[in-house]
Formats: sequence, structure tokens, C-alpha cells
Amino acid sequence: MQTFTNETIDLTLLPKYEEVVLEKPHPNYWKVIIINLSVFLVIFGAFATSVLFLDESFTVNKWYLAGGFAVLAVVLFTLYRASFKKRGFALREKDIIYKHGIIAETTTIIPLNRIQHVALAEGAVSRIYGLATLQIFTAGGASGNVNIAGIAVEQAKTIKEALVKRIDLVEEQTQHA
Amino acid sequence: MPNLDFSKPQRQSAVGIIALIAHSAQKVIRATAIPIFIFIIKAKATELAYVLLGAFILLVISAVFTYLSYLKFTFFLDEEKQEFIVNEGILNRTLLAIPLGKIQQININQSFLQKLVGVHSLQIDTAGNDGKEVSIKAIDHQIALALKERLLNGRIIAEAAKNESIEAERPIIPFIKISTSTLAKVGLTSHYGSSLALLVGFTYAVFHNIKDLLKAFDTDNGQVEALIEKGFNLASIGILVIALLVVLLLINLVRTFIKYYNLQISKHKNSLLISSGLLATKNTLLSPKKVQLTTYSQNYFQRKLNMLNLELKQTEVGNQQDGEEVRSSNLSLPGCSKAEKDAILELILGKLQSENLLLKPNFRFLNLPIFFKAVLPVAIFFVLLNFFNELKPYYPLAIAYFFLTGLMIFISFKNHRLTVNQDVIIKKSGIWDITNEHLLPHKIQSISTFQYPWHKSVDVGHVDLHTAAGVVHFKFGNYTQIKQLVNYWLYQVESGDKDWM
Repeated sequence: MQTFTNETIDLTLLPKYEEVVLEKPHPNYWKVIIINLSVFLVIFGAFATSVLFLDESFTVNKWYLAGGFAVLAVVLFTLYRASFKKRGFALREKDIIYKHGIIAETTTIIPLNRIQHVALAEGAVSRIYGLATLQIFTAGGASGNVNIAGIAVEQAKTIKEALVKRIDLVEEQTQHA
Repeated sequence: MPNLDFSKPQRQSAVGIIALIAHSAQKVIRATAIPIFIFIIKAKATELAYVLLGAFILLVISAVFTYLSYLKFTFFLDEEKQEFIVNEGILNRTLLAIPLGKIQQININQSFLQKLVGVHSLQIDTAGNDGKEVSIKAIDHQIALALKERLLNGRIIAEAAKNESIEAERPIIPFIKISTSTLAKVGLTSHYGSSLALLVGFTYAVFHNIKDLLKAFDTDNGQVEALIEKGFNLASIGILVIALLVVLLLINLVRTFIKYYNLQISKHKNSLLISSGLLATKNTLLSPKKVQLTTYSQNYFQRKLNMLNLELKQTEVGNQQDGEEVRSSNLSLPGCSKAEKDAILELILGKLQSENLLLKPNFRFLNLPIFFKAVLPVAIFFVLLNFFNELKPYYPLAIAYFFLTGLMIFISFKNHRLTVNQDVIIKKSGIWDITNEHLLPHKIQSISTFQYPWHKSVDVGHVDLHTAAGVVHFKFGNYTQIKQLVNYWLYQVESGDKDWM
């Protein structure tokens, strides 16, 4: 048995998660967001117009409606741009940090020894640009999981391998213990 | 003499076939009862004979199937691999292997039917990546107990296990027993909300079914609605409210008694054995280290009566790979005294430090709820008041609503507290039922902190601690302090080698 020590921990000396420099998503991910958002707006716009044309009274206000649609588009693009700027992730020795959020700024930290499994997802548009989403699952349910979008496929695979290895290592340790 | 050797495949209890067949017959009858009933009313006598014959054949077929699946259902314990193996299926054979280490909880239950025949069912819960679940539906009590012991203490060699099964026969002295009078108090003071929902659901179902029945008779001319309207005219609202309250309390009492009658908690080596139930006895064996969140709650009445409701929450997530199959396995222990609560808490959480750091929320906690739940609805009411004169008499009600909601929000603000020390995190919250959630730091799965841009300058933020049994939120705290604590909790999770289950 090791010598038992129980020293006081100085909270201010602990590594600070909030000061870690985060890696930004791949610049191409912004293009993916633009494409996805445009597809959504076109479908939404087409659907809305087809509904509106059925009712005569709406044709009078069509310019207001078009203006409203334009405002919606601008707001959406600004919000997504802001959220794109906020995104970032970092892999530390013992945990993985992911920051995101459209209005609120959320930072989620998953200790590596609490990861259940890791998955790699590639969206249709993302694939064109060689990007992938890294999904990290914990036993904490949907709210405790993390999806890191916009990582280059190669990098995502490397991180995934590293995490999986780490999970196996932890499992082995607990089995031997 | 029951067969206590689990290394060879064995079948379920032979008398259990009766319970199994009765159970499947019950299912068939339940599924076909309503169509047959409607058919009986509508059909002629000759057709009726065929229908009954058909139903009888269906019952026979289900009985034969149940018998065959009984013959094909075997289970045994693989000592070498430390796995519990279940073989089932008549044509499609399924082999289920459960590593003993993955077993989360074992329940021995007895439904009303099983009570008549004298068999029990044994249910094995596993957690983690693959939420497999096995239940052996008809098993002798002695075998069930022995099997449970063996599965939970899987690693102990056979020799020791023999001694254990003898030990298990020794009567177990419960250290907590909830008396009938305590249960009555519990029934009268808790679960108002869920009983109300039950009552509403039940009333709706009755109303709906009567309408269906009348439709079947082709006699529905709105009598039901008329009767209800008449009822409203006759009974004054006051009587109705009192009647509703009495019914509510009665439902509460009955529910509490059926579920928790003769509730006993006993220590069983390293685990807790909890048994309760009036019609069907439910036995649960749980290992304290697998409890993820320990919660106790108390309302005003219960505080006066010195009793608490304790809840032990276990893993919630089943199979993540196949989407989110969420299943909660919470254990409620109503009517504990303060001393009993402390004893159970100590069993589950261990000795706790008394030095604490108390976190209180910022007053901004009040802003959003007051605006959306109090100010906005009342403002809408007053705007509508300008257009509809009929609303005038209700305006004192709106004022009362405003102050009541405001008061409730203020109480929830006063109760929103986070207490932290090196052993445990305690989150207090609630308005009427004051809840205390206890979380051991190494049970944390992941942590999220978040902040709105307009709170940056005042240093206010929120934290969510995700556990396998739900999320613990603390809102509108001092963000610098929260961040410091998060670093500390991360340190505790990452440096410790304590497993979370």
C-alpha cells in the first residue's frame, strides 16, 4: 500500500478549464452552415409562398411578408455566424472540453474516464468538404453528451482512436482493481 | 427439495406453469374483452357461439405456447466465465449471457397471481452500454433467494456460496420498518399532483368509455353531457371541491397502501433489501454504490409530522446505440423519520464532512420567472379587460394570481441552494415540497457551465451536473465561484479511481 497522503488542495492552483485555448472548427464548416441554412430557407420559403398563394388576402401584404422573410434570413445568418465564432474544443490529458451556443455560451467538459463510447457522423454536406461530427456519449443521457461538428475527418478519426484507446485502458484498470 | 445447483441448466418452477398460463390467459382476455363485449351486444345468438368458441381456441393456443416456452426456457450460471446464461424461445432460440459484473439490481417480485400459486419472479437489471433485462417469471422463493445471492456475490467461490445460502435463511432483521399509521400520514400529505393527474385521467377514461358503450347501443343522444351539466347545476362548486379533495386523499391513501404496505428495509451484507406491497410484494436488493442520486423531500405538513420521503435514483439510460431508451429505476422510501434518513444516507454516501460551502443564487434568478409567469399573464389579462367587459368581475382574481405567483417564485429563489464540501454536493430546491439532492462528486458524468452575454459584466452563470440518474442544475450563481468548483469537481473525478457504478 502506498503511503497515505491527504494534503490540502489549493483551489486556485487547479488547472483551469476556462483558460484552455480552444481549437476552432474548420473554416470550411462555415460553408457547410451556409449551405444547410440556405437549403432550409429555400424549402421554408417555397412552402410558405405556396400556402400564402392559396389565400387572396395575403397577396396584398406580400412585400411585408417578403421583408419579414429577409429579416428572418439575416437574423438566422447573424446568429449562426456568432455561434460559429463561439465554437471550440480542446482535448486535455484527462478530459475533453467543448464550447458552443447560439445566445448563451455553454461549455461542457467530459472526463475521459466517464466516456461510454465515441461515434463519428458525417452529414451529406459536411462530407463534400471532408468534415465530420465527433459524438461523445456518457451515461449522463442526451443532455450530458457532446457533438463536436466541423472537424476534418482525419483529425476526427485520430481523436476518436485516442479516446477509444483511453476508454479501453480505463476499463482494463477497473477490471484489474 | 429445490435444486440449488446453478451450474446445470434448469427450468422454472413446475407449479409456476399455472401462474404463467394464467398470466398469458389474462393478457389474451384483456386484449379481446372489449371487442367481444361489443360483439356480444350487437350479435345474434348463433354468431355468439362461434365467437366464444374462437376465444376459447385462442386461450388454448396461448396456453400451449406458454407451456412450450416454459419447456424451452432454461437458465444457468457459468462459473468459469462468470456469466448468467438464459436460453429461451420456441422456434427462434435466444441465448442471453449476462456478465455478473454488469448486474445492477435484482428484484424478486410477486404479483397477485403468483401469490396464489406460491411462486416469485426474478428480474435482473443491467446497465451501461447494453440495457439488457432478463426476467424469470416463475421461480421458487428459496431458489430465487439463493440465485440472487449467487449472482450478486458472483466472484465468491462455490464453497463460500454454500455457507452463504445457509446464512441467507437466517431471518433478516429489518432496521427500518414503516408502520401503518406512518403510511396513512404519508398518504395524506404527499403526491397531490400525481393523484390529481390520475383522477383526471380516470374521469376522462370513464366518460369516454361510457360514451363508447352508449354508441355501441346506438343510444347516445348526449345523455352523458346532459347528466354532467345537470350535476354542475345541482351541486354548488363548494361541495364539488370538497368532494374532489376527499376523493384525492382517498386515492392517495389507497395508492400508498398498495405500493408501500409493510415497507421494510434491511441490511444484507453490502446491500439494502427493500420489500413492500399489499397485493403484490416487491423485493428489491440494491447495492448502495450503484445509487447515483440520493434525494429526500419534505413539505410543510411532513415537517410538522417529522417525516421525509427518501428517493434513491439509479441509472437512467438504457441503450444509447439504439437511440435513447430511458428507463428510470427509482426507489421511493416514504415516511422515514429524520434519524432513519440519516442512517440510510450514511449507508449510501458514507460519513460526511460537516464543513460546507454554501452557494446562493443572484437576485436575477427572479427576473425571468416573474416576468413570464406573473407580469406577462396579468398584463395580457388587463389588455383583454379593455376589450371584453365580461372579464371585469375576475380582476381581483388576477391580482391574487399575481401576488401568489410572485410569492411562489420568491420561495423557490429562497430555497435554491447548493452546498458543497469535499465529499458531497447537495442541491436544495422546491416551493412546497423542499427537495435535497445528494450527489457524490465521482458520480458526475459530465459538467456544463453556461452564461448569457448580458450576465458577463455581473459575473452570473449556471452549472449543470449530469449524472446517470438525471441532471442537477444550479442557476444564477457567482460564475467565478462556479468555475472554481467545476475545476475542483473535475479534479475529483479525474484524479480518483472510484468507479461510478
